[in-house]
Formats: sequence, structure tokens, C-alpha cells
Amino acid sequence: MSTAADPASSPEASAERTASIAPTVTAAAQQPYDDSAVALSAVDLTLSFGQHTILSNITADIRRGAVTALIGPTGSGKTTLLRTFNRMNDKVSGYRHDGDVLIDGRSIWHPGLELTSLRRRVGMLFQRPNPFPMSILDNVVAGVRAHKMAGKPAMKSIAEQHLTEVGLWAAVKDRLKDSPFRLSGGQQQLLCLARALAIQPDVLLLDEPTSSLDPNATESIEALVRTLVPDITVVIVTHNLAQAVRIADRTIFLNKGRLVEHGPTKQLFENPAEEETANYVGGRFG
Amino acid sequence: MTASTPVAEPTGGAGSVPSPRAGGSLRAFVKGGGLVRWTGRTGALIPVLALGFILAVLVVEAIPAIRYNGLHFFTKSIWDEGTGYNSRIVTTNGVKHLTGADYGALPEIAGTLITSAIALIVGVPISIGAALFIVERLPRRLANGVGIFLELLAGIPSVIIGLWGALTFGPFIAHHITPVIARNMPDVPVLDFFRGSTGNGEGELTSGLILAIMIIPIVAATSRDLIRQVPILPREGAVALGMSDAQTARKVTLPWVGAGIVGAVVLGLARALGETMAVAMTCGVALGAVSSNIYGTMTTIAATIVTYLDTAFLDGSGFAVRTIAELALILMVITLAVNVAARLMTRRVSGTPLPIGAGF
Repeated sequence: MSTAADPASSPEASAERTASIAPTVTAAAQQPYDDSAVALSAVDLTLSFGQHTILSNITADIRRGAVTALIGPTGSGKTTLLRTFNRMNDKVSGYRHDGDVLIDGRSIWHPGLELTSLRRRVGMLFQRPNPFPMSILDNVVAGVRAHKMAGKPAMKSIAEQHLTEVGLWAAVKDRLKDSPFRLSGGQQQLLCLARALAIQPDVLLLDEPTSSLDPNATESIEALVRTLVPDITVVIVTHNLAQAVRIADRTIFLNKGRLVEHGPTKQLFENPAEEETANYVGGRFG
Repeated sequence: MTASTPVAEPTGGAGSVPSPRAGGSLRAFVKGGGLVRWTGRTGALIPVLALGFILAVLVVEAIPAIRYNGLHFFTKSIWDEGTGYNSRIVTTNGVKHLTGADYGALPEIAGTLITSAIALIVGVPISIGAALFIVERLPRRLANGVGIFLELLAGIPSVIIGLWGALTFGPFIAHHITPVIARNMPDVPVLDFFRGSTGNGEGELTSGLILAIMIIPIVAATSRDLIRQVPILPREGAVALGMSDAQTARKVTLPWVGAGIVGAVVLGLARALGETMAVAMTCGVALGAVSSNIYGTMTTIAATIVTYLDTAFLDGSGFAVRTIAELALILMVITLAVNVAARLMTRRVSGTPLPIGAGF
């Protein structure tokens, strides 16, 4: 919590730390894929829905144990890229992809990798809270039950552990059997985060997780995200550039489906290599 | 309900729209909204009055039968209006009837419940599975096409389904399917209900399956409309959590509309309980005996009423018609009880309130 309490310093520190491991993206991409520093990587990924090409030739390594922000104007393909990492796009009509996405060096489309186990390893939090129509307790352990990760007697303690982790335990401990829909929006989103964490993912994908929340709830989610690393690799899509600066170690800037720039957050915002990036983070378009 | 001065509304259109020609009180009544209000009130009362009236008439008609038939009506399997040519009208306890009149409605009541149970057991899983498949797997255009067929199936007159059941479906399963089941079923309690003679295709199983076919379009179309209303976000949440399609349906999609699904099932059950013609044509109308296995001929309350009514009118004492009324009253009570039970269940199912107006 101490790093999160002072959000300005943490990305900087982490950026320096990660920069010392692999100074540039290109260097990281040249390393073999079993490199433990890379959790996820897109390799020349091109993705289209019908006639519309959403992503073109994206190559990016997502650093393990870091927070990576995906930024870019509306329609740049950042949410599509995020949803590709846990294969949520596969059933969209007209979906087609070239290239590959590797998790720990293995294709996410590998026939030997079951979709449900990929999604157990790659969790997701959505734009708006989406609790299930069951009690608060059942919500937290829904994934644990689905993957048969623990027996019945352990459920309550698992729920307590993860509700405590997201700071919701005190508020809900007397109403675990209640409907989650009576909670506030921020509490619901924390509940969804607890639910995602309960299945112990390696990677957590956040799709504008605070866009529907008030500033206080946003702050608590951001603080939490900082506590997840380095145990969990976090990829966050955000429209809010200030949020990217506050919580991301590394940032990927996408525009019109292309990856324009990928680097440590501080460098990308303060000293971007591309003019396009400079224009976007300087507020001149987007 | 007691607004006796419909014109004197404090904030009506009367002030804002001054009408110099509004002279007659009738015109004022219409313009002031009184006509709409009173039409609405009358309309709202009609269902209440109609239900009350039907119940009252049935009870009045059935009282003599209730007194003479007694509690044995629910436990005996016999249907005898009297002693044929030698019959005389006699009076017992003030109730006129033919000598030897003896009625027991156990076959009717059991038949109604068993065929409806078969219909639900077979029809509901198929309906909900079909609804899920239509919404989640079929492309929109194909889903609409299938939907049209569902609605067409719901609109087929029951006499046509009954004819098909009696001529084609019943004989087919009696010759090709049920003998295999009956031969291979072990001779243990419960399962031995599926053993024995399989008959000619008129009977309990045929009627139950025909009813299943008849409730499928109702339950499936209603469930489909409900499932379509489930928002995408919680479903995606379940999928992203690594739940399989079946788990997503069972844990998220169906509970989201659980109360509505119960309602859809009750709609189907009400149809199955009351369905008359198709059952009368396929059940064999065995008035006086409960079948010993699932294939035997039987009857239901509705089928007995429709097939026996002509004969009942020939009873000079009028007692047979009163027995029919008692039978109808039982069916009515069963139907109402199902509806009340459904309401209670709905309340339990929707114990986790949905985010209506939760405002996030």
C-alpha cells in the first residue's frame, strides 16, 4: 500500500527497475520466449472483424510482474488487443487473426491449451462492475467452484482472504449472503476484482476498470492494482492518461490499430520517440 | 375505487385547455378523462369478477356431487352412472341420483398429474436448452427463422396434434420404441413402472409426450425472450472467469431470469393440465382404472369431461353432470394451486434482487 499511496513515485521507480533489466522493447523482443521476464507477447498480430482490420502487425512483449497500460484514441484497438489476450474475441462474427499471442512462450491458440484454463490464468475486469446473480460470497468463489480449485469447507476462508485483499471484508462480512447488487458501484467493482483474484491468475486484464466509478473508488482500485504487482502481471486499458502515469510501469501507445510506441511510462510521456505519441500525450489529438 | 366525482380533478386538462363549448355533462365526462378512467376500472374488475363467477357456478353445481360422492371420490377407481335399464331416480341425503351411481376420480386425477409430469420432465429441459441454443449459438437471422417455427408450432390446433398422435406418433413408439424399453427395464420398484405390456400406442406415455410437444413452443419461446434480456456483461464476466458455456448458463444466465423461467414453466404446466382434445384422442379414455404401467390406457380430468359429457346429459337425475362439475372444480383447484405455488417459488428464486434501478 505504501507505493500506491504515493502514485507519482511508483511508476518512476518501477520504470527504472525494469529499464535496467531490458533497456528497450526491441532488445526484449529479441530474447527467447522462455525468458521469464515476458508474460505475454503479441507476435506480428493482425486481427480483423469481417472487412474491418482492427489491429495490424502488433508485436509487443508484456513484462512479467509489471503494470502495462494500453493507451490510444477511441477506435485504436486497445480493448480489442486486451480481449485477444484471453480470447474473448474468438466468437465475434467475422473474427480472423494472423500472427500469434504467446503466454509463457506458448500460443494461446495452441490446441493443447484449454480455453477455460487459459482464462483461469488470464483474469479480466470489465468497464462496469458485473456481479453474478448470486450472493456476495458465491460471487467471490464462483471461479474457484467452476475450476474445482478447492473443496466446499474452504470456500468461506477463500472468500474472506480475497475480500480482505481488496479491502471489502469489513464492509460485507455481515452480509455475505446478501445480493451484490445492493453494494455501491465501487464496491461491486472491488467484488469483481476479488472474484478475479480468487482463481489466482498470472495475468490480470483491466478494461477501463474505473471508467464508471467515482474518484474515491477509482483511487482504491488504482491503489490495489499497485499491490498486485509483481505477483501478477497487469495489463490495463485506459482513456485516462493521468491514470496511466499514476499506475503503469510501461505504456503501449496504439493508434488506428498500429503499435506506435512501447516503453517505460515516464519515457513515453516525457520524452516520446515518435511525434504521433508526443501529439497524443500532449493532448493535441485523441 | 371510490372516486365518485370523476370530473372534479384538481389538476386536469380542464384548467389549461378551456373549452367554451363544453356544455353537456357527458362531454365534460369524456373530456375530463372520466370515460377512460371508468373504462379502465371496469376492465380491471372483469378478470376478478369472471374468476369469482366461474368458481361460484362450479361450486354450486358440484355441491350435491361432493355430498354424495364424499371423500371416496379421490380414492376410488370406478365410473358408473347407474344400473342401466333398471335404473330409477332415488334420493340420498337430498341428492337425486340413479340407483347404483358410483364415482371415483382417482384415474382422472392421477392421469392429469402423471401426464403433466411427463410433459414437464421431457419438455422443460428441451425448451430451455433450445432457448439457450437459439440465443447464444444461432446467428440472429437463423434465430429469427427458428423463432417463427416455434410460434407456428404453438399455433397448431390441438385436434391436429391429437390426430397425429393417435394415427402416427402413438403407434410408432408403441411398435418401435417402448417394447425395447419395457424389455430392458429392470424389475425393481419405480423402474418396473416402465415394464409390461406396451399396448397399441394409446396411453399415458403417448399423451405425456404429446403434451411435451405442445408445451415446448410456449416454454421455449418465453424462455428465449427472457434469455435475450440478460445483459452481455455478466455473461462475459462468467466466460472470462473460465466458466464453460454450461456453467455460464446454469450459474449466470438462467438465474438472472430465474423468476421468469419459473413463470414460463407454469405457463406450460397450465397448458398441460388443461389440455383436452389432444389428450382425449391419445389417452384411450379409460374411465374406471389406473394404468399399471406407463404405457397403459388412462384418462385425465379434461379428457373425461369432454368425452363423458354427452353420456352425462342422458342421466335423468342430473347427477352425472354434477359429478362432471365436481371434476371440473378439482381441475380448477389444481390449476390455481399450481399458480399460487409458482408465485411462492418465484419469490424464493428472485431472492437475489436484480440490479433494476441499482444505478451504476
